[in-house]
Amino acid sequence: MIRQTIPPGSIGVYALAWSLLLLWLLLLPQQSLAETKQARGLPPPAVLNPAADLWRDIRQRDMPTTGTTQVRGVDSGVLINANGDTWRKFRMEQLIPVAGYLLLGMIVVLILFYTIRGKVKIEGGAADKKLPRYTSYERLIHWFMASIFIFLAITGLIILFGRPLLIPIFGKEIFAVIASASKEGHNLMGPLFMVALILVFIKFVRRNIYQKGDLSWLLRGGGIIGKKHVPSNFFNMGEKSMFWMLIIVGSVIVVSGLMLIFPIFGQSREWMELAHVGHAIGAILMITVIMGHIYIGSVGMEGAIEGMKTGYCDLNWAKEHHDYWASQMEKRGEAIPNEAVNRFSDPDTNKFLGRELEEPGK
Amino acid sequence: MIAEFIDGPLWTFSLAVFVIGVTWRIVTILMAGNRQDLSTPRGSASSGAIRTIFSRSLYERTAATRGRLLQIAGYLFHLGLFALLFFAQPHIDFYAERITGFGWPAMPHWAFIVSTELAFLGLLLLWIHRLLSPVTRLLSDLDDHLGTILVFLVMLTGCLALAQSFEALRLIHLLLAELLLIYFPFSKLMHTFTFVMSRGYTGAAMGRKGVNA
Repeated sequence: MIRQTIPPGSIGVYALAWSLLLLWLLLLPQQSLAETKQARGLPPPAVLNPAADLWRDIRQRDMPTTGTTQVRGVDSGVLINANGDTWRKFRMEQLIPVAGYLLLGMIVVLILFYTIRGKVKIEGGAADKKLPRYTSYERLIHWFMASIFIFLAITGLIILFGRPLLIPIFGKEIFAVIASASKEGHNLMGPLFMVALILVFIKFVRRNIYQKGDLSWLLRGGGIIGKKHVPSNFFNMGEKSMFWMLIIVGSVIVVSGLMLIFPIFGQSREWMELAHVGHAIGAILMITVIMGHIYIGSVGMEGAIEGMKTGYCDLNWAKEHHDYWASQMEKRGEAIPNEAVNRFSDPDTNKFLGRELEEPGK
Repeated sequence: MIAEFIDGPLWTFSLAVFVIGVTWRIVTILMAGNRQDLSTPRGSASSGAIRTIFSRSLYERTAATRGRLLQIAGYLFHLGLFALLFFAQPHIDFYAERITGFGWPAMPHWAFIVSTELAFLGLLLLWIHRLLSPVTRLLSDLDDHLGTILVFLVMLTGCLALAQSFEALRLIHLLLAELLLIYFPFSKLMHTFTFVMSRGYTGAAMGRKGVNA
């Protein structure tokens, strides 16, 4: 039998691979901008629509475009949706370019930051003890949310930027396949993000309530500027703020996404347009922030991802970045020798196995 | 050319490998026989076997807290996959056209979507747990991951082809399903069938000893 186990660090490698793929996708907006500008410079299409003048007159006349009809249904009395054009223009001329700049800007910031600051090392070096940081369940729901988020981000970016970006690369026929697949996948996986969001909220909310010490962490720049470390609680104020952004913006994304997938609750076209705008802005904002999160977890900081990978974090890392929490844990005798954190143990079983390994022969 | 190959010869070949392979595996297990138990029976082996086959599918209340989620995830994945495999309209149409010659009532589209969501939810939770837990990671081998990846990809490509508008997406889904069928008899995915025998064997042995296990 072939036995090839997955090494503990492989999840990080997968996450990095996915992240690189995401970054590649995020580089594409450059072409999107060029394409949009190019399209703007083109002359209008020569195909004439005989009804175009009529509909233009209706839309531009100084009279309401809604009336009454015997047809029952949402917006059935609307002769023409004038806001549709406003929404389309906003999407093409503002949303896509600005979103592209934002995502590209974040990449540039991270590259610059890494170039200047480099990887934030554990100053005291790796300790000979570790602290249990996340339980199996916490890590499970974190990576579940991460998997779903990356899938939704990639498919969502294809839907948003794909038309101007991917058609020149793949052609219309292949892009039609990619776009259809992305849309179906995005719609189907979307509700799972809601499940992940609820699970994460329930599990992590208590530790993300702002408390004493958080503000001083913020005022001292979280230790990013300069070499001095700033103590914090289990989560620092940056992490807590990211959590609340995830919950609040994530809720907006979920609700607007459900409105878009299920147009059966009587929502009008205007609500759908609003939902689309909210969904796109929220998602772009979240992707931008999560890029920073992925940066810190992957190449930005030594030891940052260990807790989410193995359940344990290095004692020195904890002291440097989460000193209040680390001190409490040490006082309670929760620090475990590295030898005890063996391949069989995780924070749920560390007490049992830890004691056994600490006191061999007993 | 490739499309015709996937739709034609490869489908026939993969189905043949699946049917012959699964039959061969089951027959070899059944032919292996049991060692004769000379002890005095203290209970019924048959009732023990039947009881265990079903009872092992029930929710285990004594499971540890962290095991509960995995039990639920197991239910979600297996029931969701079963429902969408046998009661989704596109699949029934496929079976009717290619295998059975007749169809049967399908579940409504919303139930199809819900089943897919639940199956994905369960599979992802179970797979991530397999990768994260030091114990399951050590117990897992390449076969476990290959089987999971193939099932995941078949489900994912099926979900991407949900619009049923593009032949290319249907063919990708079919190709992966065919690869899964070929891989199936040689993998732990055989537990789809062999769970009956393994549970039955354990149940019979325990039942004969008069143990309620």
